[in-house]
Amino acid sequence: MVAVFRTELVKQLRRPRTYVALGIAAVIPIILTIALKANPPNPASGEEGFFALAPNSGLFVPVAALRFMSRFFLVLLASLFAGDAVSSDASWGNLRYLLVRPVTRPRLLGAKLGVSALFAVLATLAIVVVGLVAGVIAFGWEGISVPVAGLSQSAGQLVGNLAIATVYVAWGLAAVVSFGFFVSTLTDVPAGGVGAGIGLYIVSQILDAITSLGSIRYALPTHYFDAWDILFFGRGPNAEMLRGVLLQIPYVLVFCALAFWRFQRKDILS
Amino acid sequence: MAEPVIAVAGLTKRFGPVLAVDGLDFSVDEGQVCGLLGPNGAGKSTTLRVLVGLVFADAGQVRLLGRPVRPGDAVLARAGTMIEESAFAPYLSGARNLRLWWEAGGRRWEDADAETALAVADLGSAIDRKVKTYSQGMKQRLGLARALLSAPDVLVLDEPTSGLDPGEMREVRQLLRRVSERGATVLLSSHLLAEVEQVCDHVVVMDKGKLVAAGPVQQLIGASGSVYLEVTNVRRATSTLKKVKGVTRVTPEPPGLAVELDGVKRSEVVAALVHAGVGVETVTTRHRLEDAFLGLVGEE
Repeated sequence: MVAVFRTELVKQLRRPRTYVALGIAAVIPIILTIALKANPPNPASGEEGFFALAPNSGLFVPVAALRFMSRFFLVLLASLFAGDAVSSDASWGNLRYLLVRPVTRPRLLGAKLGVSALFAVLATLAIVVVGLVAGVIAFGWEGISVPVAGLSQSAGQLVGNLAIATVYVAWGLAAVVSFGFFVSTLTDVPAGGVGAGIGLYIVSQILDAITSLGSIRYALPTHYFDAWDILFFGRGPNAEMLRGVLLQIPYVLVFCALAFWRFQRKDILS
Repeated sequence: MAEPVIAVAGLTKRFGPVLAVDGLDFSVDEGQVCGLLGPNGAGKSTTLRVLVGLVFADAGQVRLLGRPVRPGDAVLARAGTMIEESAFAPYLSGARNLRLWWEAGGRRWEDADAETALAVADLGSAIDRKVKTYSQGMKQRLGLARALLSAPDVLVLDEPTSGLDPGEMREVRQLLRRVSERGATVLLSSHLLAEVEQVCDHVVVMDKGKLVAAGPVQQLIGASGSVYLEVTNVRRATSTLKKVKGVTRVTPEPPGLAVELDGVKRSEVVAALVHAGVGVETVTTRHRLEDAFLGLVGEE
């Protein structure tokens, strides 16, 4: 398992697409920081939200970047890594050669899933770490106190909550990654798996906006996607976040089980 | 009696309504170079895919080196495979592709027969270029190199010379002979019957998913040989050749003659004609396997 994981990891690391994706993930927080520094939000304008608060502390810049990018861009990246994990090899005609080695299909699939998940996490970390460095350089390492916004945290609390938020957001991508990965085992078209991951997110968001769906919305994979807001308003992790964490588990189990079940029985014709 | 290296028994595979392989039986013994022949759609590629664990059989059994083939089975480490076109990760170099492919099997690069493989690939400095810059022939040679990395006991090759130029095709034929001399078993499918006739000692002929014929090449095409001659005087040549011992049949095929031989050398035939004052302008060995194959599968 270690050997095939390592080779799949090297393949991803040497793929130009990986650098482009991670590079964009890292550059956007820098652009965001420069924009906030050059043109700070005017408190008198009544502007609210994470962007308006960011100039108060460099430690809040990665929080704003994470909020901004997790809503679509991070989903896109996670879908990209997971959705073409198998189908890209199939589209090159290379999948059959990966499977004529003495490597069982579950081992290959496990390695590909692990690498996809790892890069989804790396993309999340890129946003946070680069945002943190850029933010501290631009606005300093200090706590934040904005009573009007109900926000008062020391630097240590901010860092701790940022770490929790990062883990939560990364784990919140699990359903999208699993679904994109499952579809990747069904198709020889990489865009199919990528589109499936993004599609799941969009459909879930649309359905979640229909309040008349009632309690069904609580089972949608993105329903608790933004629940980590609560970390920065002094109340710490709450039951909503816990439900958000637990909700991903059945999606991951079902989609991954389907992926492994299907791939083990699939005739490799590509 | 030793178990065959490749044993296919009652193999049946259906894709939806299409019966790709229908109760196929054949075996390939150790050291044989066996050609798998058949028209397009005969089920050759499906058979080879089942043989290396890519496609699951609906019925029957396939054994490789004495073991039933399952995806990822350890026995695949002893097999070199090339199925249809060679394919690689296009953004990696040829060398990196080979190395990663090998190491994914849990083995060290130092244990690979890289020297032989890279000699076969014969890509020079291009081995360090990205595969997406390769021609089809270069990819095919790199694919052969990959199949040889493990110094395999059995080679399963699907159209191995596809995309190669004549010189490269000849090199592949020589390579297959060397591999065979080393004791390895080779099963290859090819549309090029002249190539199969030159390389293989046994053939399996399929049509519409079924076995049509199997056995040594010489048995399939008959013990006799056949040549086509263009001569200066057809009538005198015909009468002369009919008197030569070992010439079993002389058939006019304007502008020349088709001559069936049994135990007589072509040089003796030519000498007899020259001695009779007949000029010989062309002597061509007939593609006998092609004739036999077309007769078996009923194609014109």
